Amino acid sequence: MIRAGGVVLRAVGVTKEFGGLRALDGVSLDLRPGEVHGLIGPNGSGKTTLLNLLSGYYEADAGHVLLDDLDLSREPVQCRAALGVARTFQTPRLLGSLSVLDNAMLGGWPDVGASFVGTALALPRARREETEIRERARALLEGLGLGYALDRRANLLEHAEQRFLEIGRALVLRPRFLMLDEPAAGLTIAEIDYLGEIIGVIRESGVGVLLVEHHTDFVFRTCDRVTTLDLGRMIAHGTPEEVRKDPEVVRVYLGT
Amino acid sequence: MTASSPWRGALPRLAGGLALILLPLVVSNQYHLHLASLIGAFWILVAGLNLVVGYTGQLSVGHVGLLAIGSYTFAILAGKHGWDPILTTVVAGLVCGLCGFLVGLPSLRLPEFYFAMSTLAFGLIVTELAVARTELTGGGVGLPAPFFPGPLGTPSGFYWLILAAAGLVTWLTWNVTRFMWGRSLVAIRDSPVAAASVGVPVFRAKLTVFVFSGVTAGVAGALFSSLQSYITPDTFHFELSLFFFVSIIIGGRGSILGPFVGTAVLTALPELVAPLAKLGTFFYGLLLLLVVLLVPEGVGRLVQRVIAALRPPVVEHHAIRPDLDRLRAALRAGARR
Repeated sequence: MIRAGGVVLRAVGVTKEFGGLRALDGVSLDLRPGEVHGLIGPNGSGKTTLLNLLSGYYEADAGHVLLDDLDLSREPVQCRAALGVARTFQTPRLLGSLSVLDNAMLGGWPDVGASFVGTALALPRARREETEIRERARALLEGLGLGYALDRRANLLEHAEQRFLEIGRALVLRPRFLMLDEPAAGLTIAEIDYLGEIIGVIRESGVGVLLVEHHTDFVFRTCDRVTTLDLGRMIAHGTPEEVRKDPEVVRVYLGT
Repeated sequence: MTASSPWRGALPRLAGGLALILLPLVVSNQYHLHLASLIGAFWILVAGLNLVVGYTGQLSVGHVGLLAIGSYTFAILAGKHGWDPILTTVVAGLVCGLCGFLVGLPSLRLPEFYFAMSTLAFGLIVTELAVARTELTGGGVGLPAPFFPGPLGTPSGFYWLILAAAGLVTWLTWNVTRFMWGRSLVAIRDSPVAAASVGVPVFRAKLTVFVFSGVTAGVAGALFSSLQSYITPDTFHFELSLFFFVSIIIGGRGSILGPFVGTAVLTALPELVAPLAKLGTFFYGLLLLLVVLLVPEGVGRLVQRVIAALRPPVVEHHAIRPDLDRLRAALRAGARR
């Protein structure tokens, strides 16, 4: 478990341009352990760009990404994953030919210490890690409600099952921070409620959650703090109550 | 790589292995035994290549180059310089592992198509070098390759040696595919983005697997040259590379048995059925076309499908219902220190 008030994942004044188009302009955001941070805004406001900067798929043109005092700005995705920064994708990226359990187990990669040669020789270390990761993945999937589908090929899953499996894979990584990119998209009302409960349990365990979502009711209900972006700039930041009433947010995003 | 027991299918595997061991006692035709040895030597290469092509999704069409280097290493060191053939086989593996490293280092960073082109170029360069460097390779005239000493030099003995090496390589690749490394390789093939998101070092993993395929190609080359007893640059024509590649695609990506059957059938069919031999490369091309059009996932997957169709799985609709207490416990158990 993480120390109370422990490590913070932080974007400090990050700017990102795509061919002259400024997708993000000096945005700062911090993600604290045991807190759900919502990120909302109209299409093209830079939400996913910010998520990609935090998880390392893009490199910022200016500004920094910090994990406590550690500057991650130039570190690749893999390094951030190893430090416990996990994410899901807008369109679930699963391995269709593998089973649900195998897909979730992939998230255990940072814990693999067995070398290629050690694995080829089936040395005890490879076997032990395999068993540990399998048990962890199985327990998490059962907790997420996918226990009935462990052996099913991932390409046979329904939409909600795919979304929950991606969360499962990210949790097997034992994240400090979990970034969810529109996890409620395409879910039924009942499934969104389950998602909210799951996020609550993840927060309780000390993980910092970044929730990028269009579904504003869900965001205001689930989050401790909310940041609103518009055209690559932060226009509001605060508790759900504050952000909901912010006139600028109402004007550009929520409407009246 | 599924959650089911590793012992499932142990009996057919055991029976298959036993049949392969007893083969020389049953087969009276020496040519057929030679053919079986050839399949074994090719399989050692294909088994390693299968991790590159079938699991990691990197389309290498230049492995004939590595096979040639392994063969010439054997013919030169064991033949000209009289090294011990067993030791030389190991050395050939190491030499080709190094070659795999040198070829993979620049080319594996390239996008798929360009990687395939650079392996193609590598294969062609090696054959040309074999012709040009006459003092080393004998040029177009070629080189004799020695037999293995003692009982290993007999057709049956050599078959058993190849079988043992093939069995070892198959076991190694099977281990790679059934543990965490296997999942990471499939992730690199099917979704590099997902692979990176969980920390898989994509380039390093590709390079590791490519070096391994180099080692197996080198061992295969050494055994192959001794089996052929004489090698020339013509032995390593480009169609051979195509043949390895097609064996894997026809057998099915992400399987070990499929490409093995592919290798065996593609080696044996043109030899046993004379009209097919006349067709040569046309036969591979036709087969590849048929498979890619009709069963793009490979024949192995087709068989699985047929079995699945005969035994339809009961897929009930389940609504997802999280068990929050279980989730809480699982998160607590897996928490970082």
